[in-house]
Amino acid sequence: MNLLFALVIGVLFGSGVFLLLKPDLFRVVAGLVLISNAANLTLMASGLTRGLAPIGRAAGDERVADPLVQAMTLTALVIGFAVTALLLGLSVSVYRSRHSVDLDELSRQQAADAVRREAREAPHDEEHELDESDEQRVAYHEAPT
Amino acid sequence: MSLIALPLVILWPAAILLALLDGRRRGPGMLAVAALAASFAALAVLLANVVADGPQDLVAGGWAADVGIRLRVDALGGVFAVVSCGVLLAALLQAVITGVQARVTPALTLFMALGLTGLFLTGDIFSFYVFFELSMISAYALTSARGGGRHVSAAFIFAVVNLVGSFLFLIAVGALYRATGTLEMQAVAERAAPIDPTTAIVIAITFFVAFGIKLGLFPFHFWLPSVYLAVPPHVAAMFAGALANIGAYGLLRFGAAILPSELALSAGALIAIGTVSIAYGALQAIARRDTREVLAYSSIGHAGYVLVAIGLGGPVGLAAAVIFSIANALNKTLLFLASELRGRLTATAFLVGALSVAGVPPTAGFFGKAALFEAGIDAGSIAAVVLLFVGGALSFVYLFQIYQHDRWRPRAEREREMPRGHASRGQRSVALTVAAVVLVLGLWPEPLLAIGEHAAGELLAGGAAR
Repeated sequence: MNLLFALVIGVLFGSGVFLLLKPDLFRVVAGLVLISNAANLTLMASGLTRGLAPIGRAAGDERVADPLVQAMTLTALVIGFAVTALLLGLSVSVYRSRHSVDLDELSRQQAADAVRREAREAPHDEEHELDESDEQRVAYHEAPT
Repeated sequence: MSLIALPLVILWPAAILLALLDGRRRGPGMLAVAALAASFAALAVLLANVVADGPQDLVAGGWAADVGIRLRVDALGGVFAVVSCGVLLAALLQAVITGVQARVTPALTLFMALGLTGLFLTGDIFSFYVFFELSMISAYALTSARGGGRHVSAAFIFAVVNLVGSFLFLIAVGALYRATGTLEMQAVAERAAPIDPTTAIVIAITFFVAFGIKLGLFPFHFWLPSVYLAVPPHVAAMFAGALANIGAYGLLRFGAAILPSELALSAGALIAIGTVSIAYGALQAIARRDTREVLAYSSIGHAGYVLVAIGLGGPVGLAAAVIFSIANALNKTLLFLASELRGRLTATAFLVGALSVAGVPPTAGFFGKAALFEAGIDAGSIAAVVLLFVGGALSFVYLFQIYQHDRWRPRAEREREMPRGHASRGQRSVALTVAAVVLVLGLWPEPLLAIGEHAAGELLAGGAAR
C-alpha cells in the first residue's frame, strides 16, 4: 500500500513539474493542480489507519481511524481550489490584456513594453547612457521566464 | 476571552466587511486603518505581557488541551506579529492618504494582516499552513489588483513559484505528522529528537526550501525583483516589511525550535547559501539604477544575513537573526514608502533608511548589524565578520548611488521621472514616523535587544527541554 501511494504521488508530482516547465499559462496551472494533489495525497498517506469511524465513543479497545489527516486534506483541498481559481482568473486576465497565453510571447511583449517605456522617459541629451540601460532591461526581462 | 484571540477577532470581521465595500472611498479606507491600528495595539499589549510573564496559550473553542487547535504566543511570534502589523499599518495609511487605486486593496491588506498575525500566534503546524496560505493568497491578489498585463504576469509568476513552495511545506507537514504523530509545535519539538536522522534531514530540507522561496534566498530568488517592480511602493513595503518575515520566522521556528539538531548539522550549508545570497544581492543591486529594483536585490542580500545568523546559531546568533529581521523590516518599509515621494523631508527620511540599511549609528540598522558582528565574533569566525563588513560597505555603495540618482539631480529632470508632485503632509508624516521609529530604536535599542535575546532564549530552551 505504501509503495502504491509512493508511486502515485511520485508520478503526480513528476507530471506536475513537467507541466510547470511548459511555456503555456494553462499548462502551468494544470501542473500546479497536479502538484497540489500530490501534496494532498501525501497528507492522506501520512496517517492512513484502518479502524472504526471516529465519531462518538469507541466501544471497548477497538482501533479508531485517524480523523486528523482527513480533516487536513479537506482543508488543503479547499485551499487548493481557491488558489486554482485565482490562478485561472489571472491567466484569463493575462489573455485579455495580451491576447496570448504563451510565456515566450508574453516575455517578448514585456521586453518591448519596457523598451518603449524607457524610450518615452528618455531625455534626448542622455540618449547614449540610457541605450545601455535599455539593453540591460531587455536582458533582465527575458532572463527570468 | 484571552487577549491572544483579540487581534484575530478584530481583523477577521473587518476584512470580510471591507471585501464588500469599495476600498477606494475614504470611509472604508479609514475603517481598515482603524481595524489594523486596533489589532496593532492589542498585539503590542500582548507582547508586553508575554515579555513580562512568559508565553501564553489559548486552546480555541474550549476544547481539551490536546484536541483543540492551540494559539500560542511567545516573544518570537509576538514581536514578529507586532512588527508585521505595524508595517502593514504604515503602508496602508500611506496608501489611503495617497488615494487607493484598487477597490480591494484595504480588504486584502487586512486579510494579509490576519494571515500574518495568525501564523505568528499559532501553536499548531497545520494552522500555520492555513494562515500562511491566507496571507500569500492576499499577496498574489494585491500584486494583480491594479490590473494591466505587466502586473498580472508578475502576479502569476509570484503565485506559481510561491505555491510550489507552499505545497512543499504541506508535504513536509505531512511527513512531520507521520514521524511524530502530532501537529502541536511543542509536542512535535519534543518528539522530533528520536526520529530517524535520514527522515529528519529530508523534512528539514523541505522546510528550508519552502521558507527559502518565501524569503527570496539566492537560489530561489528569481521571482522577487519582477514582483517588487510591478507593484506600487506601498505594496512593495508590505511585501518586504511584513510578508518576508514569514521566511525568517519559519526558519527560526521550524529550524531552531522544532528541528535544532538538523539545523546544527546543516549550519555550514546555511552559512554558504547565506554568503552567496549576500554577495549576489549586493552586486546585482549595485548594477541597477531603478530604486525599487535596487531595493528588491537588496532584500535578497538581507535574507542572506538572516540565514548566516541562523547558521552561526547559539543564543547570540539567533538573537541576531531576530534583531536583524526586525530592523530590516523597518528599513525596507521606510525606503519603499519614501522612495516615490519628493521633497526635502522625505529625502531625509529616505536617507535615514539608507543609513540604517548600511548600519550607520544612530539607527536601528546599526544594532541589527552589530548583533550580527557579535554573533560572528562569538562563533569565532573571521570569515563571517569580513563578509558582514564587505556586505555593509556594498549596501552603502548601492544606497548612496540611488540616493544620488534620485535626489541630487536638477529639479526639471527629476520631475519628469517622479511626476507625482510634492508629497502631501499626510504622505510625508507616514514616512517620517517610520523614520522616527528607526531613529528611536537606534538611540534607545534596549527593548529591541532585550526582545531578541528573550526570543532566542525561548527558542533554545524549547530545544533543550526535549
